[in-house]
Amino acid sequence: MSRCILIVDDEADVQEIAKLGLEMKTDWTVLVASSGADALRMAAECQPDAILLDMMMPEMDGRATLRALKSDLSTQAIPVILVTAKAQPANLSDFSDLETAAIIAKPFRPLRLAADISESLAWS
Amino acid sequence: MPKSTTQTYKADILAIDDTPENLQLLSQLLTKRQYKVRSVTKGTTALRAAQAAAPDLILLDINMPGMSGYEVCEHLKQDERTREIPVIFISALGETLDKVRAFQVGGVDFVTKPFQVEEVLARIETHLQLCFLRQQLQEQNQALQTAIRSRERAQETFTKAFRSSPSPIVITTLETGRFLEVNDSFLRLSGYSRREIIDQTVSDLNLGISFQDYIEGVIQLEQNRVIQNQEFDLRTKTGDYRTLLLSVELIELEGHRCALSIGSDITQRKRLENEFISLVSHELKTPMNAMIGALDLVGTGELGMLNEKGQHLVNMAVSNAERLVRLVNDVLDLERMKSGQLSRCPGICRLPNLFEQAAAVMQPMAQAADVELVVKPVDVEVRVDCDRIQQLLTNLLSNAIKFSSAHQTVWLTAELQQSVSPQLLLTVRDQGRGIPEDKLNLIFERFQQVDVSDTRQKGGTGLGLAICHQIVRQHQGRIWAESCVGNGSTFNVLLPLGKDA
Repeated sequence: MSRCILIVDDEADVQEIAKLGLEMKTDWTVLVASSGADALRMAAECQPDAILLDMMMPEMDGRATLRALKSDLSTQAIPVILVTAKAQPANLSDFSDLETAAIIAKPFRPLRLAADISESLAWS
Repeated sequence: MPKSTTQTYKADILAIDDTPENLQLLSQLLTKRQYKVRSVTKGTTALRAAQAAAPDLILLDINMPGMSGYEVCEHLKQDERTREIPVIFISALGETLDKVRAFQVGGVDFVTKPFQVEEVLARIETHLQLCFLRQQLQEQNQALQTAIRSRERAQETFTKAFRSSPSPIVITTLETGRFLEVNDSFLRLSGYSRREIIDQTVSDLNLGISFQDYIEGVIQLEQNRVIQNQEFDLRTKTGDYRTLLLSVELIELEGHRCALSIGSDITQRKRLENEFISLVSHELKTPMNAMIGALDLVGTGELGMLNEKGQHLVNMAVSNAERLVRLVNDVLDLERMKSGQLSRCPGICRLPNLFEQAAAVMQPMAQAADVELVVKPVDVEVRVDCDRIQQLLTNLLSNAIKFSSAHQTVWLTAELQQSVSPQLLLTVRDQGRGIPEDKLNLIFERFQQVDVSDTRQKGGTGLGLAICHQIVRQHQGRIWAESCVGNGSTFNVLLPLGKDA
């Protein structure tokens, strides 16, 4: 089943790696946004099946972006997967207050990304 | 009394009498006994003579025409130059001598005419002696006053230097760590009042130093007499930690051995250092992510197959990049723990589960190294930060496996202990090469490995034990290593199991 994924990351190289990894493994449509503001606009417009959201971004960071997505009726149902460099087991409590579908640790393995996403969202 | 050794007479005596015969008699009598005598017949002359050169003693006739002896004496006592000179009155037998008046005007004694030689001499001698002693006493008194004043000044200088020193200073007894003196700077830093601290011991106050640590410090101090610039995290009254750079000197106070500790608060400096490390680490991770991802994509061959050499090089790049990520993660973890950003999240976990999980994580590594992992927990529930204790166990196990050879065994065991309160002793033991004694304490510091080549050969980051140390400290426990070179090492972790532990 073809899916649409929105990758939100301010680093162009990381965007490209994630996009490439997903495209090599799946037939999903992969969209990219470089900032929280872009992400909000694109999420509302394109209604992706999931959002892969980087935590560390300038201006509007992952936390703020997530809050905005969840408070907007048009986007609040879209599952959000956080991508963070802080995802060591001991730090996970930092995110316990956030409405996330899953957390993926940075640096991620691009070729495992599709499997990780499918697994955490229970996509068959 | 002779005033100096060059004088040939015993004392200078001024004799005043309107009867020349009397004067002559006195003069002869005293000159024979090595006194210098000046004789005058009138009160006014006597006053001038005494003012010009103060005699050691005055013999003064009472009944004289013009100015009486009483009046002369009164004048003498009013003049600063002659006030201190002892005056002995002379009265003729049968004359009415007003003894009370004689003393009132300042006389010290009296003799009667006709003179009894021995009596006159004895009285003169006595008063000269008294006068000399009084002078001596005054001089000594003055010297004493001066000494006291200079000592007070010195004491004030040192007290001020101690009390207002911008660096925190503490004096404790060596054996028991009891506070004898602290300065204001230390009070400000620690948050305690003087009354709360003085006479308490280091362990009474929970200053972030265990009694065991204190004893180790004492041993070090006894060996070297001084401890220079050691970093120490002081737990303040509010429970915050301040980092001190501490120097300690062994001193003796009233026969007791004491520790004089002077610190400087480097908390701010450390914080900046930590922030810098955090920032750098994060900035390092972003490019690492792109790098590892790119290598991963190339390495799978899905973009085109690599030859064997190319594959080998890509694998090498990936494993080194991963090592760099581990290092960055460890640095971040450690710095966040040290700066208190990563505080403990206590939870309740069963020890067997903790052991099982740690063993499961480490089993692949043990298998790869052909090392047997033996795990013996005790069935107990512990209130700890479970993730952190897990991290502690895997770090210790990973170390033990790293330094074991094939076919050796690594043990992870637990034991409940009851001292003042219940404690849990966790032990990781290996049969590896061991740790030299002088390194046993050092290995818990950042980047301190037994052998500098270990980081490269064993793939560690040099931070594992420093992280363990921090975790144990957050649990108010203690970690230490025992080892015999060539005979393996044992890492012990003692955790308090109180209701707050």
